[in-house]
Amino acid sequence: MAQIKLNNIKPKYMSEAEISTSDIYLKENIVFEQGKNYLIKANSGHGKSSLLNFIYKSNINYTGEITYPFSDNSITNIRQNKISYVFQDLKLFPSLTVLENIQLKNTITNYKTDEQILGLIQKLQLSHKTHSLVETLSLGQQQRVAIIRALCQPFEYMLLDEPFSHLDNTNIKIITELLLDELHQRKAGMIITALEDLTMVKFDKIIHL
Amino acid sequence: MLVKLQKKTIVKTQLLGYIITLCVGVFIVLTSIQLYFDLEPLMTNQTDVFNDKTAVISKEVSLFKSVDKERLYFSDEEISELQAQPFVKDVSTFNNADFKIKAFSNQSENVPLFQTDLFFESIPDNYIDVKSEDWIWNESDEVIPIIIPEDYLKLYNFGFAESQGLPVLSKNTISQITFNLEVSGAFQREVFKSRIVGFSNKINSILVPDSFLKYANLKFGRSNVSRISRLLVTFVNPTDQRILEYFNQNNYSINKDKLEFSKLSFFFNSALFFVIVVAIIIVLLSIGFIILSFNLIVQKNKTMILNLGAIGYSYKSVSKFYQLIITISTFISIVLAIFFSLRCRVFYSEKLDNLFDLPKLPSYIVLLGFVFLIVLSIIYNIVVRNKIKRILLPKDNFK
Repeated sequence: MAQIKLNNIKPKYMSEAEISTSDIYLKENIVFEQGKNYLIKANSGHGKSSLLNFIYKSNINYTGEITYPFSDNSITNIRQNKISYVFQDLKLFPSLTVLENIQLKNTITNYKTDEQILGLIQKLQLSHKTHSLVETLSLGQQQRVAIIRALCQPFEYMLLDEPFSHLDNTNIKIITELLLDELHQRKAGMIITALEDLTMVKFDKIIHL
Repeated sequence: MLVKLQKKTIVKTQLLGYIITLCVGVFIVLTSIQLYFDLEPLMTNQTDVFNDKTAVISKEVSLFKSVDKERLYFSDEEISELQAQPFVKDVSTFNNADFKIKAFSNQSENVPLFQTDLFFESIPDNYIDVKSEDWIWNESDEVIPIIIPEDYLKLYNFGFAESQGLPVLSKNTISQITFNLEVSGAFQREVFKSRIVGFSNKINSILVPDSFLKYANLKFGRSNVSRISRLLVTFVNPTDQRILEYFNQNNYSINKDKLEFSKLSFFFNSALFFVIVVAIIIVLLSIGFIILSFNLIVQKNKTMILNLGAIGYSYKSVSKFYQLIITISTFISIVLAIFFSLRCRVFYSEKLDNLFDLPKLPSYIVLLGFVFLIVLSIIYNIVVRNKIKRILLPKDNFK
């Protein structure tokens, strides 16, 4: 099975004392297998986002080694075809509408059709906001937009950085069902970070950071 | 969608400002350079057979010197002192003919009958830019080429011919006429054919090729001493104030008028050079301005650019829009500049054609304009792409 492997990873900006209790940092052979779900649990300030950014290659401020199972490890290929990422700060474009934000991502690979996108928007109860500017949406609504956007590309892994922090349980339930369905179809792996346990998803492994 | 997002980041007034500034700068550069090429024949192809920066100097004739002619000649020390002056590039000497010369025409020909005593001088051939095949003499040649002062021709046409009822002669007709030269001295006598091949404005003498004078001085010369009464001086810069000062101090005579045209051409060239420098500064400022403006846009929208990178856009696709916008703006600007420049050339050509008889020259405007366009486009595309690349790709992760 394809896997992303972490060896002796340590953020350059954190001291060894800060990460001494970690199950990932400075440990050998931490493996994320494709098709399995991982929860990374820690309080804030322990480097959850950093870890996902290291894997996503958007932060290279670390020592140690990350190996990928992909034939082409270029940033562009990883971000367009291999790893999808729901950022903690969402990285939406406030001056574009909900649909435009999603399309902006979808046009890179044309992975989903317009109907599929509209179907996802409807499923996450955002239909009435389809043509509203993202800056007019609540945080919870924006989180849902970001999750839909992350699904509009081919991927083998999905990274989610505290994706449910602003959502109510009903929405979390809808989203997790959707996500697990998509992941299953694509045989993709998932790495979620959270402050506490997420009871709605059955994880293959829960790691304390 | 990407275009829609990036379009909002462009500051249209800045772009317009850039287009106008670059257009003005390039317009002035193109027009000035074209003007220089168009007027160059006027500046260089004067009737004068000498280079622009040369002048003939001699010593002032005074009462004493008319008695003691030795004082009219330049000594070797004086020549080397002159040569050492900072404003003098080169000094050449005139060689005098040391024999008697008589010019006359044959009665049978279509030339007025005349007979006159003449003198000859010569200077090194490289100071004369008459067509070189004419200005050659060797012992087997029958015809000796001669250059006379243009004033002589005027004197003949407007003075002598008028009063004696003789036909006036153009430079062309004169060049066709062959007459005879009788050279005598050292108890020998020989008759040559001769023809006028050029007219000089700057030198008041009758010139023959150096090779002929050397040959004739050897054969007909009365003495072996060569005395130098006139020098041909090439100046580094004919407008140099020190020239006149130095000559006044030493009582050398130089005709100031002879330097006027050189001055004029020097001023024209300097003015044009100055204008081109200013225009190039304008162009450089416009380049600086658009690059600064682009950097501002990038700084202001850094988050947007980073987010585009984060959701999977490559730096190439992000920078493509800015590359395109700057290239198109530059294209519009330079095409406008080329258009105005061509119109301007038509305008000044009409004026100049009324005043001077200038040859039709090719236009360099379009070619130069496109050189500008290509060079600027290459610079901009590299700058823009590298800037976006630096933002989206951390340094040691270039892939």
